[in-house]
Amino acid sequence: MTMPTETKPTALLRVRCDVNHVPMVTSFVENGALLYGLAQAQATELTLAAEEIFTYLCQASRADHSVEISCLGGGYYVRADFRFAVKHFNMRAFNLTATVSLSDAAGMQEMGLLIASRFVDRLNFKETDGGGVQLALIKEKIYPQAVRPPDIRAAHLETYAVRAPNSEELKCFAQLIAGHYPAGTVPAMFQFPGKVADMAASGEYRAALSMGDGGRIGGGIFWQSAGAKTVECYGPYLFNQQKGSLMARELLEACIGDIARSQTVGLINRYPTADLPVEHFEPLGSWTMNAADGAPVSLTAYFRLMHEDPGASVWTHADLEGFLREEYRRLVLPREILAVTDQGETQNPFSVLTTEFDRFLGQVTLRPLCSGADIEKNLLSHIQLVTAEPGKAVFFLMDLAHPWQSGFTPFLLRHGFAPRAILPYAGDGDIVLFQLGRPSS
Amino acid sequence: MNLPPLDKLVPDYIKGFEAYIPSKPDAELKKLYGCSRLYRLNNNENPLGPPAAARAILDRFPPPRAAIYPSGDAYYLRNRLAERFGLQPDQFLVGNGANEVIGFVIKAFCQEGDNIVTADKTFAVYEWVAEFSGFEARRVPLKDFAFDDAGMLAAIDDRTKILFVCNPNNPTGTYWNRERLVRFLDRVEGRRIVVVDEAYCEFVEKNDFPDGIGLIREYPNLVVFRTFSKMYALAGLRIGYLAGDREVVNVIRKTCVVYSVNTLAQEAALAAIDDGEHVGRTREMVAEGKQYLTRELGRLGLPFVCGEGNFIMIRLSMSDTLAYRKLMTRGVMVRAMTGFRFPNWIRVTVSHREALSAFIEALAAIAAPGDGSGGAP
Repeated sequence: MTMPTETKPTALLRVRCDVNHVPMVTSFVENGALLYGLAQAQATELTLAAEEIFTYLCQASRADHSVEISCLGGGYYVRADFRFAVKHFNMRAFNLTATVSLSDAAGMQEMGLLIASRFVDRLNFKETDGGGVQLALIKEKIYPQAVRPPDIRAAHLETYAVRAPNSEELKCFAQLIAGHYPAGTVPAMFQFPGKVADMAASGEYRAALSMGDGGRIGGGIFWQSAGAKTVECYGPYLFNQQKGSLMARELLEACIGDIARSQTVGLINRYPTADLPVEHFEPLGSWTMNAADGAPVSLTAYFRLMHEDPGASVWTHADLEGFLREEYRRLVLPREILAVTDQGETQNPFSVLTTEFDRFLGQVTLRPLCSGADIEKNLLSHIQLVTAEPGKAVFFLMDLAHPWQSGFTPFLLRHGFAPRAILPYAGDGDIVLFQLGRPSS
Repeated sequence: MNLPPLDKLVPDYIKGFEAYIPSKPDAELKKLYGCSRLYRLNNNENPLGPPAAARAILDRFPPPRAAIYPSGDAYYLRNRLAERFGLQPDQFLVGNGANEVIGFVIKAFCQEGDNIVTADKTFAVYEWVAEFSGFEARRVPLKDFAFDDAGMLAAIDDRTKILFVCNPNNPTGTYWNRERLVRFLDRVEGRRIVVVDEAYCEFVEKNDFPDGIGLIREYPNLVVFRTFSKMYALAGLRIGYLAGDREVVNVIRKTCVVYSVNTLAQEAALAAIDDGEHVGRTREMVAEGKQYLTRELGRLGLPFVCGEGNFIMIRLSMSDTLAYRKLMTRGVMVRAMTGFRFPNWIRVTVSHREALSAFIEALAAIAAPGDGSGGAP
């Protein structure tokens, strides 16, 4: 699988960080959102989020610095990106909590990033080449929910071909999943067949189905890039196949074959079903999410490396070393574990955490952008803020390639986070996924 | 100074491409995996080492000659190859390993919009070189572990320039016999370049195995690759070659990097090529090793594919990349086959008995339930 490059329809605007330019920015984003397929209501929400972000950037920079704004049509979503040079901004301001008075509801309402996050489906930060930052706002289209398809389409198949589906076959596949698997055991996207079709058409997702005569579908698998080096697969899902059928393995191998010679290092499955050929995977770890009805659901993730592991070095705080040694032993991953020590060296006064909201999955992910003397206070502020809105799973991702990130370890452990899994090569190095006690409710 | 704008400078086909990461040196791997010795059964190297005459070349190479450029086009070696195969010296091009000559051929014939056709589960370098050069690689699924001639012919279109056939195929060891290869060449009708990669041909003893070089006169669109890395155990010196019709080779020569093959490699290859005794000893070792491995794999109940060449492919009931790591902790390095699109298979080089015994012992241990690793979190 060659992951899609940015060949999607895109419009660009380069503008000074001057509040007088707000109307230009909002007009640009709204027209882009409408042009790329959002309905007026969603386009307006994306525009409001963009307005908050731009106003916010104007406050965090000088008016002679500029920001590049792009509007991208992703098929099932529209994304507004804000790109700027780190050196031109007060990065402390990118803490979600930077200007929030947690004891004052009015103060929270003034927080641009937080407000923006509430208007969109996803908000995330990414460091870019050359010392820049990209802040992305993503708003998805609204799709009608699946209706159960005629059962004749889901058939036990003696003979079939595993191949990429067309759009109609893919929609039928999504409908069959929604009809055959209990809600909560499969990602919610399969409730929206039109969205699944658009996801595949965007090039960000791929699928393989077992197709028989007359458009009958025996099963299928769906996969997408989940970062630079990881692919996430959903399925295989089988419909009315005999126990012991080779179909699940063939579907999974079609997915693996597609990505085998790509830059993908790992394949992950976070929604395993009884049909998953687990012998192709290694159990990675478990964490908890809230189901649609609010009940906590434990998810065990499965993983496979796509390549022979060349070994690596990782940095750790002493408090995490035991977890790492045990997990690396269990996963048979050769790692040189290097201790990070505090020798009293001078630190930045302020740390920075980025916050990624995914309203669709009901999760918040914190990532450290830089370390500082206020780690504990900053972390606590973020915990307080992200748990103020109930029903979200809260994660913290620590990249073990960067020794400075280990400084967060004792404070994470002290304030309710626990390490749940190592995600090999998911960042610049391995990533440790921490989860805050349990989903807030 | 900031990094250059890589997003804008790098072509899309390179962005989506995976850089090949070679394994670390043995000493580093042993340290990482905590093993005191390491049997290398991953690269189909010949454990007997180079033929005696080539060893002599290596032993007596005068250090001052390292200061002198090598023959830019492997003059003496090409002459010797010509004598041996009954062709002209200018029908051969020598490269820094067969990988380099793959690049020569693709560069010589493909331009924007062109494609190559090969199998989905074969030596990766045809596909890699095509794709990182910006050309489409059309992959035809193997049929019964073998190249599918009808499927390859069906994949041809107006922009197809080269068809790559690995004979015998790495990693399945299947091969096209003479009749099948000739039939394929007839159906291509000389309209495209057909490359037959015979990297493992010296291991094949079957009577019906075709001599690709012998077919060049009749089929001037045929280009044959061979290497000194496998049978002749000169992998560390990096030397391989191609043979073809003079006019075709003249075109390929235009893209050829001269002086890329060092003096030691050229002279060792020249000395190795006539050592029939070495070939015989190697074949004997491989035959014995295959007999041992197939018996032991049968005992362990593990399915395998054992064809031509000095390797066997084995199907496991676990991820091959996990098996690789587990075997490494026991001092055995194999090739995980996910990259060849054979997930949960490993490829093992048929080596000497001591290494194969160590491999079987380690394989039995990791296949046993409760080996203490890779379990539930």
